[in-house]
Amino acid sequence: MLHFVQALQHNSWFIAMNSSIAITSFFEVCHYAGFFLLVGSIALVDLRVLGIAGRRQTATAMAEQLFPWMWTGLIFATISGFLMFTGDAIDFYGAPLFRVKMLLLVAALVVGIVVQWQVPRWDQRGPMSLGAKSVALLSLLLWVATILAALEVPAINGVG
Amino acid sequence: MSAALMALAKWLQDTHWAQWISGSDWVYPFVQLTHFSGLSLWIGTNLALDFRLLGLGKKRQTAAELSRSLFAWNWTGFFIAICGGFMLFSASATKYVVNPAFLIKLGILIPCALVVHIINQQKSRVWGATADTLSIGKYMGLLEIILWLGVVTAAVSIPTFEIFGS
Repeated sequence: MLHFVQALQHNSWFIAMNSSIAITSFFEVCHYAGFFLLVGSIALVDLRVLGIAGRRQTATAMAEQLFPWMWTGLIFATISGFLMFTGDAIDFYGAPLFRVKMLLLVAALVVGIVVQWQVPRWDQRGPMSLGAKSVALLSLLLWVATILAALEVPAINGVG
Repeated sequence: MSAALMALAKWLQDTHWAQWISGSDWVYPFVQLTHFSGLSLWIGTNLALDFRLLGLGKKRQTAAELSRSLFAWNWTGFFIAICGGFMLFSASATKYVVNPAFLIKLGILIPCALVVHIINQQKSRVWGATADTLSIGKYMGLLEIILWLGVVTAAVSIPTFEIFGS
């Protein structure tokens, strides 16, 4: 894995991209806008499952409207995040909090997919069950934890 | 004017709680978390409505219905982001008030984007009453997306323009 990470950081294309302030700023804008769209969309669906948002409509209606934007945001955030990673790949790879962030991100995505998959079933059963609400709350907490871990990478590990 | 602004920034930066934020490795990221969580709700829901005004994505709901269902958490996100942003500002106020990217972000782009957002949110009841949005709604949705992307661009440019020392 370390060889792959070293190869990424020493790749001439990635070096060229990451040496331009305009290009790295563009990556950052894509990363932030992508994750705002990703987290904002899924958070609203989670809050609807918890019964504290958009109660005039079903959770399924809200999920169908917002989940395509969750995936769009994820694509933007992932591609730009990968390109930002290549600029400091070796340091990011060695940063413990970056690994924590990635694990939390995967967990948040898995729970997000479970929410997307289960929302129509939960809706059919009438009022949201305690189990459904617990999954939605877990999803929200995992996203908050992912953002916090991401912010701690430069603060504690000095990378990024 | 600029001397008064700098004096105010210096006073804010010297308050105990601003020093508490800037002086700790752990507190600062928690304040950033507040700002970014609020922004996720605010920008995420703004973009979802603007894309619906543009006619992109699913049309399960009209823009009018979507605007109504997102309204409360949209503004909740805004107030969380403002609180987090103010705390981040206070921790390094003297640097921010002389930073061109920050001044453009706060003085021009955010007021413009906010006005367009409020218009879009109010008018989406008319423009988005049916599945197909009126043309004016599409243009205004696109304008709002461009303005918020401008705000994010100015925000990520702040470190590039950072002038150290006060």
